[in-house]
Amino acid sequence: MRHSIPKFWRKREGYYQILLTRCKTCGRIAYFTYIKCPYCGSGDVELVRSSGRGVVEEYTISYYRIEGAEEYLPRIIALIKLSEGVKVTGELVDVDPSEVSEGMEVEAVLRILSSDDPHGLIYYGLKFTPIIKGS
Amino acid sequence: MRRVYVIGSALTKVGRHFNKGYKELASEVIDKAINESGLESVDLVIVANMLSDSILDQLDISTILMQNLGMTKVKALHIETGESSGLAALEVAWTAIKSETAEKVLIVGVEKATEYPTYKINKVYSKVLDYETESIRNITPPDYAALIMKAYLRKYGLKREDIAEWPVKMHENASRNPYAQLNFKVNHEKVLNSMIISDPIRLLDTFPIGDGAAAIVLASSKETGSSKAEPVELVHTSSAVSVQVHLRDDLTKLPATAAVVSDLRMKFNEKMINEAAIELHDSYSIYAYLLIEELGLAARGEAPKIINELEFINVSGGLKARGHPFGATGVYQVAELHKLMTSGLAGRRFDGKYAIAHSMSGPDYNARIALLQRVI
Repeated sequence: MRHSIPKFWRKREGYYQILLTRCKTCGRIAYFTYIKCPYCGSGDVELVRSSGRGVVEEYTISYYRIEGAEEYLPRIIALIKLSEGVKVTGELVDVDPSEVSEGMEVEAVLRILSSDDPHGLIYYGLKFTPIIKGS
Repeated sequence: MRRVYVIGSALTKVGRHFNKGYKELASEVIDKAINESGLESVDLVIVANMLSDSILDQLDISTILMQNLGMTKVKALHIETGESSGLAALEVAWTAIKSETAEKVLIVGVEKATEYPTYKINKVYSKVLDYETESIRNITPPDYAALIMKAYLRKYGLKREDIAEWPVKMHENASRNPYAQLNFKVNHEKVLNSMIISDPIRLLDTFPIGDGAAAIVLASSKETGSSKAEPVELVHTSSAVSVQVHLRDDLTKLPATAAVVSDLRMKFNEKMINEAAIELHDSYSIYAYLLIEELGLAARGEAPKIINELEFINVSGGLKARGHPFGATGVYQVAELHKLMTSGLAGRRFDGKYAIAHSMSGPDYNARIALLQRVI
């Protein structure tokens, strides 16, 4: 088993949609479901659902081999600025590495992160895919 | 207030010690460091190690190590703060002596990173990031280094080849350091044509995986024991934590390092950093450039122009070429600086007053600093 089932299940909402933490004290918004604001430490926070759309700010094509994710090489890891103005790091899929560029519009999609092959659990999470113009 | 002195240090060559376990590696440096200090015993042992649970299948490594080395009359602790564990151990040891809860402290940094193939170590090492938001989604430390490097190149209008000098310099330094893992020289062409890890980070921009052990003996009095080395004072330790990479407004700044450097500047003479011998945490060569700028040795975006003017910076070869036995690295840095200020390291001796060790974990998720001062 690659991941603990309760650990994954507990965070399922944040893994299956992009939830942002909005701080009512300092006003900043951060990607992921934090208990307290990562900027100021205030516990007065609320979760906000992101549109899941954004643009690529920086990206890297990674050949760094890690156990359990060998089949996803190369990975395209991007820093994406969401339409809410918040940044998130994530993997880009359904695109050839040569076609990725800064400024490319992307949206979140649900994909396999890893699996307990051949007969075990499949762990899903969000990755990003280019938005096809006109769609 | 009590003062803290480094009265002994020892290190072993970083590399693939297939014939030695962590106990053998630790035992060797403990004996050497204690012997150099002239002490008969210590009050407290602090073990810095990052991978004991995941790679060595060992919890409570400090207890088990003491049991195996016949040191059951000594208090022992294990410290882990990711890649900066070594300097964290030093910070705790410094506090123990300053607070008069210990007089003589032995710090042992030990890591066995070659027990499994690299892809397994890569996976475990990636856990220095937040498992729930980063490593579970296959985001790794070199990926961040790559994003940060691209942001730096873009911000200052630089080309990839403009920042290929660091590995060349580090390999040159390591070629003279008997404790370095990669003691061969490289040139720009070799750096720029080495295998891509996370583009634009290439193999020769990164540290090698290796085992190692280093030890330091600290004491409250420089007259303690019959130290064979000149005493050096450990005058300051500090640390800070920063936010995750995706929460940063400017990727080219390292917030935790900025905080510890600012603390250092406030407490000591501003010029001291420019005159000090420095060992800094160049896990990826881009970090060396950013750290040089955070330390104020170069203006923002100017580090590539002054790399070759820096004489006593990573004399060891740095993480890049001396190697990076994770939890032991901070202990290596301090042991190397101690040698450099006393008996010499890599055929060189530093006669200046101050030496700085800087360590961090991941992309500056935490940063730690230690300041050594020659006792006049």
